[in-house]
Amino acid sequence: MITRSVDALVIGGGSAGLAAALELREGGATVAVVEREPFLGGILLQCIHSGFGLHEFGEDLTGPEYAERFIRPALAAGIEIYLDATVTEIGEIPAGGEGARTVIALSRGMGVIRFTARAVVLAMGCRERNRGNVAIAGTRPAGVFTAGLAQRLVNIEGYVPGKSAVIIGSGDIGLIMARRLTLVGCEVRAVVEIQSWPSGNARNIAQCLNDHSIPLHLGHVVTRIEGRDRVEAVRVAPLSPEGEAMSERELRIPCDTVLLSVGLIPENELSRAAGVPINEGTGGPWVDADYMTGARGIFACGNVLHVHDLVDFVTEEARLCAAQAAQFLAGSPAEASLRVTAGANVRSIVPNACVPGRQTVFTLRSLVVKNDARLIVRVGGQEVRARRLSHVQPSEMIRFVMKAGEITASAAGPASAAGPAPMAGSPSATGPAVEVSLR
Amino acid sequence: MSQAVRDAGPGGSTRELVCIACPIGCRLTVTLSASAEVTVTGNRCERGEAYGREEVLSPRRILTAVVPTDSAEFPCAPVRTDRAIRRERSGELLAELYRRKVNLPVRQGQVLMEDFDGARVLFTRTLPPDEVPAVG
Repeated sequence: MITRSVDALVIGGGSAGLAAALELREGGATVAVVEREPFLGGILLQCIHSGFGLHEFGEDLTGPEYAERFIRPALAAGIEIYLDATVTEIGEIPAGGEGARTVIALSRGMGVIRFTARAVVLAMGCRERNRGNVAIAGTRPAGVFTAGLAQRLVNIEGYVPGKSAVIIGSGDIGLIMARRLTLVGCEVRAVVEIQSWPSGNARNIAQCLNDHSIPLHLGHVVTRIEGRDRVEAVRVAPLSPEGEAMSERELRIPCDTVLLSVGLIPENELSRAAGVPINEGTGGPWVDADYMTGARGIFACGNVLHVHDLVDFVTEEARLCAAQAAQFLAGSPAEASLRVTAGANVRSIVPNACVPGRQTVFTLRSLVVKNDARLIVRVGGQEVRARRLSHVQPSEMIRFVMKAGEITASAAGPASAAGPAPMAGSPSATGPAVEVSLR
Repeated sequence: MSQAVRDAGPGGSTRELVCIACPIGCRLTVTLSASAEVTVTGNRCERGEAYGREEVLSPRRILTAVVPTDSAEFPCAPVRTDRAIRRERSGELLAELYRRKVNLPVRQGQVLMEDFDGARVLFTRTLPPDEVPAVG
């Protein structure tokens, strides 16, 4: 067994992990990155389409190009990189110890590696919801794939999964794959969305579906997948206003392939096993103003924390997280903070606490579809900020920045900012809070 | 197609488009007059105006694809056009790319084709990836 000691261990070598590792390394920390694939870059490498980097670089990059903007500096920065290696366990802080945790990884080339690290950054990303998560009736033939798996087959491994496809769910990956399959000669017969609005962004509807005349069935549900050995058809029915499938108007769409683009789940099995409390609203850890989870010294950023729409904001969040992890490593005491809670019409918000004297980047998701919405920030019940949003919907992340001093601790009452907020979001947290709501 | 076409004076037309220049997706109204004058509204930036104008005159897209390689480990090399090409020519470029077989190694930014409809075709990923430094 190999043993290694570092200041910070980053789990995952994708967009979040690389940006966090670089930020920590630039701050002088010793850093190791553990990546389960045999290369760095994560899911960006299979996203060969363009549209990445407009915020971060002011350029329209493809996924692999965006990834290499971080891979090249990471290789040159003196970061220890472990590829083909899977973390199996994050240990507890030993009683009376210096606060370092043991992290066990299994590596193809090096066997068991036992890391000791004072800070751990969770950057494992997310995985796709599959057929079992959405309960689609019918037989169990071959030819049913998640959209991201199909993307990997087509773009990395060089296989086309079928000759004709129906895509279930209108998330961005599904829309991107509708175009991608069309370009490799697989005819996409329909995209079927249960909601009455598309999940993916308008730009992808325009350039992926409309460009290729692919029908989008909104407010339709898949009633059955047919086929014995291989998919033969998908049956689709419109939903009644009561939400029932209207079988008399059912369509049968012949196809040999079904792709599922029905949402993403932050990948937190490792976090849960380490005792990190999880926010059911995001599927990721609760984090405080420093992006630290409920487990001391364990930080989280990127899609393992909450699913993002744009990689540029993953990069931003990873840097913010790593900057705070660096402060933690330097022994800086946590600053006084206020709890942040999701108010009316807000499903979830990140982070779950904020320091009044520091700029905070908030990201939240709406529970409702609405035009001309108002985003309202209240501190201790008093409105401190309101902003008009032309359109909100659950599938589009809302990002807003509160500048240093915009939230004042005094608005929340004299006693509230005496120290760090109680563990963000935990049921035991009490006292005045920052509440963000949508109207 | 979802792009509504309606009357905009004798010989002219108006189209409702979603801008694809960035993920914001501004809703554009583009009017093409009989004298081929184009006006764009609803855009939040200059790129939106350029997109709206181009979309009604001669639509263009960045094209991305993968090209087969000689490697079993990395059988696909992703490529892109470095600028948008005319949409009606994308099938022709794909056919050309699928006919090829590239020999690794390739570097990101390396040129595969010098000129297709005014664009260069570039590799977007370094393959095989650069080695990570030895640990220890």
